[in-house]
Amino acid sequence: MNGPPSSLIVRAIGVSRQFTMPAGPVTAVRDVTLEIGAGEHAAIRGPSGCGKSTLLHMLGCVDSPTAGTLLFDGQDVSSLSDAARSRLRLRQIGFVFQRFFLLPMLTAAENVELPQAEAGAARDDRTRRTRELLEFVGLGARSDHRPSQLSGGEMQRVAIARALANRPRLLLADEPTGELDQSTGEQIAALLDRVNADGTALVIVTHDGVLADRARRVLMMKDGRIERESTR
Amino acid sequence: MKALGFAWRSLVRQPARAALGILGVAAVGALLFDMLLLSEGLVTSMRDLLDRTGYDIRVTATEALPGRGPRVTGASGTADALGALPHVRSAIAIRLADARLEGDGGVPLQVGFQGVAGGPGRPWTVLRGRDVQRPGEVVINEGIAGQRGLGPGDRMIFRPACDAESDAPPAVTLEIAGVAEFPFEAVNEGIAAGMLETIDTACGTGGRDEADLILVASTGDTDAAAAAAAALRPDLHAVTNSEVIERFSESGFTYFRQISAVLSAVTITFALLLITVLLTVSVNQRLGEIAALRALGLSQQRVVANVFCESALIVGAGGLLSLPLGILLAVWLDRILKSMPGLPAEMHFFVFQADALVLQVALLATTAVLAALYPMRIVARLPIAETLRNEVVS
Ligand SMILES: Nc1ncnc2c1ncn2[C@@H]1O[C@H](COP(=O)(O)OP(=O)(O)OP(=O)(O)O)[C@@H](O)[C@H]1O
Ligand SMILES: [Mg+2]
Repeated sequence: MNGPPSSLIVRAIGVSRQFTMPAGPVTAVRDVTLEIGAGEHAAIRGPSGCGKSTLLHMLGCVDSPTAGTLLFDGQDVSSLSDAARSRLRLRQIGFVFQRFFLLPMLTAAENVELPQAEAGAARDDRTRRTRELLEFVGLGARSDHRPSQLSGGEMQRVAIARALANRPRLLLADEPTGELDQSTGEQIAALLDRVNADGTALVIVTHDGVLADRARRVLMMKDGRIERESTR
Repeated sequence: MKALGFAWRSLVRQPARAALGILGVAAVGALLFDMLLLSEGLVTSMRDLLDRTGYDIRVTATEALPGRGPRVTGASGTADALGALPHVRSAIAIRLADARLEGDGGVPLQVGFQGVAGGPGRPWTVLRGRDVQRPGEVVINEGIAGQRGLGPGDRMIFRPACDAESDAPPAVTLEIAGVAEFPFEAVNEGIAAGMLETIDTACGTGGRDEADLILVASTGDTDAAAAAAAALRPDLHAVTNSEVIERFSESGFTYFRQISAVLSAVTITFALLLITVLLTVSVNQRLGEIAALRALGLSQQRVVANVFCESALIVGAGGLLSLPLGILLAVWLDRILKSMPGLPAEMHFFVFQADALVLQVALLATTAVLAALYPMRIVARLPIAETLRNEVVS
């Protein structure tokens, strides 16, 4: 499971995240040590409020640990500027959200193109890559449709295509099937399997046992800690 | 997609909000533009009027306004002497009086009466008939011609009101040589003009040879001509048109400028608040989306630029609309203000000036920037993880 160092993407060492609240500090993640390697397929499970999303956000460099060290590609994320962290996310990490968060005024293709344009990809490359991605998620014929013209499952597929736009090494998904019915959820799960099969490391936070069971590695969290870990 | 294109999409996504913002800015911008036109309009119009008379220096006995102070004595001689000075093309003495025009059984008409001496040239332009050539002849303006149905060759009976102290002189009959246009005539105002002798005779002050002012036209160098006039008659006051305008803008016109500055500030503040509120509300509705874009790697600069571009688009579109609107409004307001009696017909309160346009653009651009500051700050400081979480929890 733990490959050679070069295949390590992200490494959390004794990471904690505490929130200062008026009623006193809340510790969402406690002393978590974890490594995600290239091409891995991991699921994080656990009761509501156990710190899954908080951990995922730290792995995705949108939140910083209040204690411990987070290394992305061997680099200490806390030493990076906001701009450098944005660049890192743009090129190395993809995010899929429970609520999709597609831009409603853009078409499916434009939504997928957006991160590529931000990364400075040439127009032709963007068009080609976008077509390829929409084909990959099975929406080749819907590229000119707005999110409002798509079903929930279709929106999530566009969101997955968008997350893959810049060929990230790591795809993070927080309850990607949370808003979908069971069969649509299964289609999304199958799509994510294909993403992983193509070599992208996958970390999925989910309550959905079926979705979690597809992962090779399942991390059970409780009270901010990784309580148990199982591998298939 | 560039920030501007992106902002455009965001705008048309909420057409009602965009329309509200653009129309608000258009209305405020129109008002602002009019305020700017008003602040200098009267001065500009006054300068234009004075320049159009063709005379750039006014000589009076004292600093008092013509007709309000003592008269220049030896008026014809003084006008001739001034006219002969270097740098001077023409000098004309003018005596002003009021008169009542007796009608054919109708209501008497109050008119202004001017008598001139010196030359060459006359401070009016003949439209029909011919110019005055001898005493006893007058030219009348369209105000009299229209209201009394008089024209060249007709006669009319005048009852002059010359000085407060003297007894009312008897009526005189004058012959109309032509119809002329006077630079300062007000709408419906009646003006008649002839030679200085004509007014002297009518007032029974023959031989006094007094004038209320002498108009001097330079050959081009106004200051040299004014200096020559002052040297010739140090007892008189020679004032150039620009000095008149300066004096006006220092006194009376400052009110316009102050009122316009205060109202401009109020309107701009209103636009600022409107755009800030619209953008803030819209940004707050899209926090989840913005946090998601940030998570996907869009830079802070980029999302901030989007907000700024939205502000620029709203203010830009509104600002463009505000110009035709402002001009229409100015024409309308000008018409209302000009219906005040006694104002020269060619006087305007709202006058288009390139400076005003530049200032308008600068003020609106500043508004666009300031209005975007607060929503840009919200976006810049957006905590990504917390926002993503709140969007799901709520
Ligand atoms: N921004 C925040 N401010 C304050 N408390 C927070 C914040 N984010 C998370 N928490 C707290 O940290 C704990 C873990 O939250 P987190 O969202 O990571 O849980 P979760 O496992 O994802 O739960 P769920 O399955 O319901 O999404 C919770 O007690 C939560 O209240
Ligand atoms: Mg969660």
